[in-house]
Amino acid sequence: MDKKPLLKVQDLKTYFHTDDGLVKAVDGVSFEVYPGETLGIVGESGCGKSVTSLSVMRLLDEKGEIAGGSITFNGEDVLAIPEEKMMKIRGNDMAMIFQEPMTALNPVFTIGYQIIEAILLHQKVSSEEARAMAIDMLRKVGIPEPEKRVDEYPHELSGGMRQRAMIAMSLSCNPKILFADEPTTALDVTIQAQILELMLSLQKEYGMSIVMITHDLGVIAELAERVAVMYAGRIVEYADVVTLFKKPKHPYTWGLMNAIPKIDDEKEILYNIKGVVPDPLSFPEGCRFNTRCPLAKDKCFTDVPPLEEFEKDHFVACFRINELEEMIKSEREGELSAK
Amino acid sequence: MAQKISDFRKLSKKFLRNGTAILGIALLSFFIVIAIFAPFIAGENGDNPYQIPRVSWSSKPIAPTAEHPFGVIGGRDIFYGVIWGTRTAFQLGLIIASCAAVIGILIGSVSAYFGGWVDEVLMRIVDIFMSIPFLVAAIILTTILGKGLDKVMMALIVFGWMSTARLIRGNILQAREEQYVLAAKALGQKNFIIIVKHIIPNTIFPVVVQMSMRIGSYVITAAGLSFLGIGAEPGYADWGTILSYSRNWMTMLDQSWFAIVFPGTAMVLFVLAWNLVGDALRDIFDPRLRN
Repeated sequence: MDKKPLLKVQDLKTYFHTDDGLVKAVDGVSFEVYPGETLGIVGESGCGKSVTSLSVMRLLDEKGEIAGGSITFNGEDVLAIPEEKMMKIRGNDMAMIFQEPMTALNPVFTIGYQIIEAILLHQKVSSEEARAMAIDMLRKVGIPEPEKRVDEYPHELSGGMRQRAMIAMSLSCNPKILFADEPTTALDVTIQAQILELMLSLQKEYGMSIVMITHDLGVIAELAERVAVMYAGRIVEYADVVTLFKKPKHPYTWGLMNAIPKIDDEKEILYNIKGVVPDPLSFPEGCRFNTRCPLAKDKCFTDVPPLEEFEKDHFVACFRINELEEMIKSEREGELSAK
Repeated sequence: MAQKISDFRKLSKKFLRNGTAILGIALLSFFIVIAIFAPFIAGENGDNPYQIPRVSWSSKPIAPTAEHPFGVIGGRDIFYGVIWGTRTAFQLGLIIASCAAVIGILIGSVSAYFGGWVDEVLMRIVDIFMSIPFLVAAIILTTILGKGLDKVMMALIVFGWMSTARLIRGNILQAREEQYVLAAKALGQKNFIIIVKHIIPNTIFPVVVQMSMRIGSYVITAAGLSFLGIGAEPGYADWGTILSYSRNWMTMLDQSWFAIVFPGTAMVLFVLAWNLVGDALRDIFDPRLRN
């Protein structure tokens, strides 16, 4: 891609100073988001996907600290922007939607009030105009009878409606980039599909970029153009969505893909990656996947594999890419004998 | 605006369907009416209406008659005392509860907002105040300050703000972690506005409810102090003062029952009214309970 990236994150390191010690939640993450595209960040819970987006918006709490790296948004160094200007950027240029639409909307205000608040914060309009805009926005996100719904409280709406209201609120100021942090996880499957469709159509209409943070590969396949797979605070594979699903090159990505149940499969036991995610307080030396990786040996335990371009626009952080085929074969056999 | 009005209508409709709320409001309105019209109901005692007129120089209780419908004790007209005592009760309750609440909210929110050593110091102060039994502390402080209702109020305020401080601190700490606060930050809202608009409205309801419920209990405590003889001055139109007159006649209830029953009933109903109103307030204010 020759276009200039809207958001460029380079070697981002976000550490949390907890009572138990230093947690390197994000440790050297780099990615770019181009205008109008959707980047998926996928990984297990606790791998640092949410922290990455919070870091970019500079919304970490007191314990969190951006320990290194750079974030460039719209040509500006985000880490150097004074807090006051950052407040103007948040909501206006960068917006975020959250996993739990119930808790992300303030229960004591009507949804209209909350959308109007967001509009008035960034746009010079009268409160009547803001109200009209809020109603318009609610209509756009597919809420029926927006004139009536605008005066309802979050608890009066269903989960899907709440998430739509949340999206309306985030998009009310027409942001350039939208961070969607597991926007469909708390919803029913049918509602999930509707919300994803809505996000796609709104993206087409507004031309914003979306960073879709999720653990759901189905969501990624549906929405994202490029995908970064995160594991234990690092990106292990970074490619466009087709390549990633067809030719995963990192053992972890392959494990994830293989763990998805397929409708024409006759497996009785679903594949699972052995072991558990390492404790963030004490990530292993070298490749962080080495505790669970069947291929791990020698160098994997001492050196950090760099994220290298394997093919054009396909980055993998693994020393043993060439041995993956064998691993797949032996894992498949293992599965068969388990039957 | 139209929406606000219809909102209000919806609420009042719901409110009117709630039996206990109506009872509470009715009782409270009853007391308010009595307090306002005290001069017309019981007359006014010269230049100091808060002094119960002396109607007899004998200390023997006089059973209720047409002239003194609630009887006489210590030479004082109980009816006058109970009626004017309503005003005293409102003064006591409202002033103590609101002052204690203001102090508590201030200390609690400063504590929660700044955190760190400020929080530590303030909460230890709260602990110290809380470790002293409330009634004992109030008794000692009123004894030091001297007689009079204002001294009682001061003592009860000094030892009455801690639970509010703790309540609001806990609520703010909890609300701060809520996702809607993060969402508001993500929309670029300023910190101060987030506190005022998003955190306080989510934390203030329990305080309001607690405050209204405590109005009643403060009145009881003040009456207790008066009963012990360290509250209001003798003859002051205060329910506790009337009770204190009956102290010497406790063993002869057949002769003095009216000195306990009438102010006692007033107190019980007053506390009940505030408790029911407290519940009702919670139902009105908290939109989370509006379903």
